[in-house]
Order: sequence, then structure tokens, then C-alpha cells
Amino acid sequence: MAAPLPPSRPRIPGSGLAKGLAVTLRTMTKKTVTAQYPDVQPELPPRSRGVIALFEENCTVCMLCARECPDWCIYIDSHKETVPAATPGGRERSRNVLDRFAIDFSLCMYCGICIEVCPFDALFWSPEFEYAETDILELTHERDKLREWMWTVPEPPALDPGAEEPKEIAAARKTAEKLEAQRAKEAQEAQQAEEARQAEEARQAEEARQAEEARQAEEARQAEEARQARETQQVQREEEGEE
Amino acid sequence: MNDALDVALRLVIVFAVFMVLPLVVGQTEHKVMAHMQGRLGPMYAGGFHGWAQLVADGVKFAQKEDIVPAEADRRIFQLAPAVALLPYLLVLVAIPIGPSEGAVGQIVDAGIFFVLAVMGVGVLGSLMAGWASANKFSLLGGLRTAAQLLAYELPMLLAAASVAMAAGTVSLPGILNAFEWWWLPWQIVGALVFFVAGLAELQRPPFDMPIADSEIIFGAYTEYTGLRFALFLLAEYAGIVVLCGLTTVLFLGGWHGPFGADGLGWVWTLLKTAVLAFVVIWLRVSYPRLREDQLQKLAWTALIPLALAQIALTGIVKVAIN
Amino acid sequence: MTLAAAAAHSAHSGFLSPTGIEIAFVLVGIATLGAALVTVTTKQLVHAALWLVVALGGLAVEYLLLTAEFIAWVQVLIYVGSVVVLLLFGLMLTKAPIGRSPDADSGNRWAALGVAVAAAGALVWVVVDAFRTTWIDLDGPAQGSTEVTGTFLFRHWVLPFEALSVLLLAALVGAIVLSRKRSKEQS
Repeated sequence: MAAPLPPSRPRIPGSGLAKGLAVTLRTMTKKTVTAQYPDVQPELPPRSRGVIALFEENCTVCMLCARECPDWCIYIDSHKETVPAATPGGRERSRNVLDRFAIDFSLCMYCGICIEVCPFDALFWSPEFEYAETDILELTHERDKLREWMWTVPEPPALDPGAEEPKEIAAARKTAEKLEAQRAKEAQEAQQAEEARQAEEARQAEEARQAEEARQAEEARQAEEARQARETQQVQREEEGEE
Repeated sequence: MNDALDVALRLVIVFAVFMVLPLVVGQTEHKVMAHMQGRLGPMYAGGFHGWAQLVADGVKFAQKEDIVPAEADRRIFQLAPAVALLPYLLVLVAIPIGPSEGAVGQIVDAGIFFVLAVMGVGVLGSLMAGWASANKFSLLGGLRTAAQLLAYELPMLLAAASVAMAAGTVSLPGILNAFEWWWLPWQIVGALVFFVAGLAELQRPPFDMPIADSEIIFGAYTEYTGLRFALFLLAEYAGIVVLCGLTTVLFLGGWHGPFGADGLGWVWTLLKTAVLAFVVIWLRVSYPRLREDQLQKLAWTALIPLALAQIALTGIVKVAIN
Repeated sequence: MTLAAAAAHSAHSGFLSPTGIEIAFVLVGIATLGAALVTVTTKQLVHAALWLVVALGGLAVEYLLLTAEFIAWVQVLIYVGSVVVLLLFGLMLTKAPIGRSPDADSGNRWAALGVAVAAAGALVWVVVDAFRTTWIDLDGPAQGSTEVTGTFLFRHWVLPFEALSVLLLAALVGAIVLSRKRSKEQS
């Protein structure tokens, strides 16, 4: 059995018809939602998946993107170059050089796995979406085009307040803090040394002053002794004279 | 000679009105319907808010190939759009827009009968098209058109008869001359019946079962292309103009208004007609299509009794006044 | 209409010097007759119905030329607007093909012709005998205008009018009874 209907309040006949008319009339006075696209560019949300851009300086030709791509729509060609040893007598290094990087956007399904999987941050989502072609073959875009799109990649959006710090920033900050702490420690040590030096100087000065005072006191004592000795002599002389 | 010139001038003016007003209604429908659905409607043709969209449509229609299906009844197929369109042109001649002699194409003594009779002929065009297309959808559309016409002609006539009784004349200017403001509440039921029945006769949504494009393509017009199809569309919009004008004249007092009765009567007529045309569009946007049995039920169990009741009321009041 | 009346008014001439309106009357009459003949002889059913429209429309024009404006428009309204539509509705429900129907002919054509001629003869004789050389008086209100027709109908001929109404009412009641009976059987 169906649930009993909620008690309907008494309705004026035709109120439903009036309601319908009211809805359309109200909609007519509101702002329309039509996007006038070619005249007005759409406001795309951040992280729009428009097209995949390539920052080729970061690419090491590791081929992860090409292999993870579910549609096999990424084409990468490369060759190896040897780099002469950096230090005399050192070993030569080899390096991958990118020759071709192309994405066939007629196959791409915009899953974004290549961007996720890139360990060197060479692939990015760009919000650019106006790259329709009249021939399906022309939808295979080469590295220069992908590089052009790189400059349309927006800045990453700001983090939420209270969000965890990004790892790279955390690492950088840790290093900076370590450096800072080291520098602070050195500075403290230097200050301590300075303070010690100053204390030594002060002590030496005190010693000098005390030595001076002692010398002066000795002189005074000697002078007193001499005076007393002179007085004693005088008294003896007077006594001799009287006799 | 002067008479001939006068007649020619009147015909030219009526023809110009016939060509312009339906396009204005059509363009209004484009824009009003769009905004009622949260859209903008045509924006490009003509530059300013797509004002020339229907002109562009006309050019497009004129360029199309005129195709007659191989199995069709050629002559009837080709004749049908003219039969559908011309009656509305004729009707327009008899609708007065102002109180003076010059504000009506031709004063017809039996105006109501003339107008309703000729409008009824217009539906023959749809029937001819539906039968001659040799297409099952068209035939269904034709059948539905005929059934709808039979059902709605009667309430329309009865409602018009009520006004004729009230005015004591069947001439359109005569009815307007006899009009008093209190006819408005007196004849309001008749007005509603007349307007609804007229909408049904024009096959306008929500009464567009005969041309229901989501189920029988476009009914009787399925096989038409190019100019002939455009003529059918023009007939529909001319029908809206005629229906709104007639409702204005019969029930809303035509050129009578709160002020400006002397020189500005035609403004009142046009204004009322425009408001009614807006209502026609509004109804189209707001309501879903009536099913065939609902259509018939509405006509026979609601509109006809209402129209008869209106006639009874009119008679009682008329006798009471006299 | 006013033009037609004026033209008719200016000519009190007989058959030998016909006025424009009389010529028009005769031409429209011939066209109407032709349409009527095609209606009964064509083998395409829907064409027959459409030729009937032409014939009825021609009749309406004849009424107009005789200044019977009201009758003319009622003719269009009832016959062209409703009766023919009903006819077409019925035809569309049948298997009427586009093109000739092979079985559209009837074996009774000569009998039908005889009945038609007899009916036409009777009507013509009655009309000719009733009016003979009566001329329409155009000086007063037009004889066929709505007002005059109404006065005639509801003053002088009110009894036949009411009798006809009763007949139609009886037909209506009969139709309702028939349709109710059938629905009961179905249920």
C-alpha cells in the first residue's frame, strides 16, 4: 500500500494554472542564463581541463606519461647525448634529449593521468579550449603548440586557510630554519667570545688599577716611614743637643 | 476614380498591416518565450537584439527548394497554404481599429458572421494539406485538426452570439458603438470562452495537438518546405493577430479607453491587441499540451455549457434593462 | 456590397442590356454549376469534397450579389466551415486513396440523375412561379441585410423556425440516446 497522502489544504480551482503563469512571468523578469560565448569569454573554474600543456625543461623523457596514457595518445621521441665530465678525470654522463612530444587530442579523453603521473612537473592542465580543427589529423598537437599552452596555465590556487603546508615548501622552510639556527648559533658564539674578551680586558684594567693603588699605598707608606725616621732622627738630635 | 483610389489605398494598408503585425507577434514570441525560459533568444540578425530574425527566416525560406512529395496530390498540396493564409487577410479587412470611417478596411454589415465564417475556411487549408501530403503523420494531423475545429467552432460562435445579443447588432463597428464599460464584467465568461476556443482553432499551444511536433512531427505541415511552409507559419501568426483583434473588438471595447477617445482610439485597439497577443505567447510557454480527449472534453463539457450560460445571462440582463 | 447595390440600382434595364452585376451573377452561376457537376462526376473522393466547397462558395457569392449578405455568410459559416469539414473528417477516416477510386461510381447514376432533374425542376418552377418579375427594391434597407432577415424570420416565419428548432432538438436527443445505448452495451 502506498503511504497515505499528506492532507492537502483546500485549493481554489485554477490556482495551479495561475501558479504556472506566475512562474513563467517571474522567470521573464529575472536575468537570463545564456552564455554569449564567442562575444563573452566564459569564466572557467580553476583546474578546468581544457588542454594539456608541456613545460619541456622539466621533461626527462622518462616515458611514464606515454605508458600510463589509457588512449596511447602521447608520442615521445628522444635520443641520448653524452655530457663531458665535469671535473678532469671524471666520468662522462649521458642525458636524454627530447626530440618530439605530441598529444593526439582526437584520442585524448582528458583523464589527466599523464599529468598526475609526471614526477617532474612537466605536464599541466591549461584552461585553453579553443583549438578545434577542421581535420581530425590536425588535432595531433606538437611540442611547440603544447609549450605555447604552457603560458596559459594559471597559477595554482591559494591554499585553504589552515591547510597543511605543501611538502616542498615545508622542506625548503626546514632547510631555511636549519640555516637560520646555525647562523644564530654562530652569532651567539661570536658574541660570547666578545663578551669574554671584554671581561678579560676589564679584569686586566682592574688589576692594573689595583697594582697602581698598591704602588701608591706603598709609596705613601714609604714616605711615612721616611718621615717618621726623619722625625726620630730630629728628636734624637734635639736630645743630643740638650745634653 | 477617387473611389477606386480609396479602395486601393485601404487594401494596401490592410495588406501592409497583414505583413507587419504577424512578424511583430512572431518576433515578440521569440523574445518573450526565450526570456520566460531564462534564455536570450535571437541576438544576431539585424544587429540589435536580433530584431530582423524573422526577416532572415523569410529569406532562408525563400531560398529553399519547393518540394512536393512524389505520392502527394500535387495541386491540392500546392494550393493548401494559400487557402490557409488568405482568409486571415480577408478577415483583417473587416476589423475596425478606430471609431472613424477611415479606421476600418471595409464595413461589413454581418461582421461577426463574416469574420467567423471566413476564419473557419482557413482551417480547410490544414485539412487539404493533411490529406494531400500522402503522409500518415499529416493525415493524423488533418484528422485532429478537423476534430478540434468541429469541437471549438460551436463555443466560439455562441460566445460571439452573446455579444451580438448584447449590442443588438452583428456589425463590428455597431457592437463597439454600443459598448459600455460594464459589458466587461457582464461578458467576461463569453470573452474567456471565445479566446480559448479561438486559440484552439488556431492550434496554438496548449491546444496544438494537431501539429504536436514531438509526436506527429508537424501534423499537416510535415511535408512542407520553403515558402509554402512559411505561408503556413505566417497564417498561424496572422491568426493570432486576428483572434486578438477580434477579442478586443467584441469583448474589450476596442477603441474605448479611459481617456484619449477622440484621436487615439486606434492606440487603445492596438494596445489591447498587443496585450492579448502577449497572453497567447504566455499561455504557450506556461502550459503543457492537452491530450486529444482532454481537448474534446474541455470543449464539450466546459466551454459549450459556459457559453450557453453566458447567452442566458446576456438575455436576462438585456430583458431586464429594456 | 455598397458598390454592388449602387451598380444594380443604376440599371433598371431588362435581360437584353445586362449590367455588370448581372454578368457577374451569370458567370459565377456557371462556375458554380460546373463545380457542382465536377463534384458528382469526379472519381477522386476528396476532390469531390473540395469541389463541393467551390460550389458552396459560389452559391455564397450569388447570395451576396442578390444583396442577401447575412445568408451568404451563414452559408459559408455552416456549409464550408462545418459541414464540409465534417465531410472531410469522414473521408479521412475511410481508405479514400490519393487518385482515382475505382469503385467511386454507382450503378444508380441514371436514377440519381432523374431525381436531381426532378428536384431542380420543382425548385425552379416554385421560385419562378412565386417571384416572376418581382424586382428587389433597393431604396429602403437592403432586403437581405441582417436586420431585415431577422425581422422576417422572427415576425412572419417564426412558426416554421420554431418547428425546425424542435426537429433539430429531436435529432440531438436521438443522437444522445443512441450514443448512451452503445456505451452501456460496451460496459
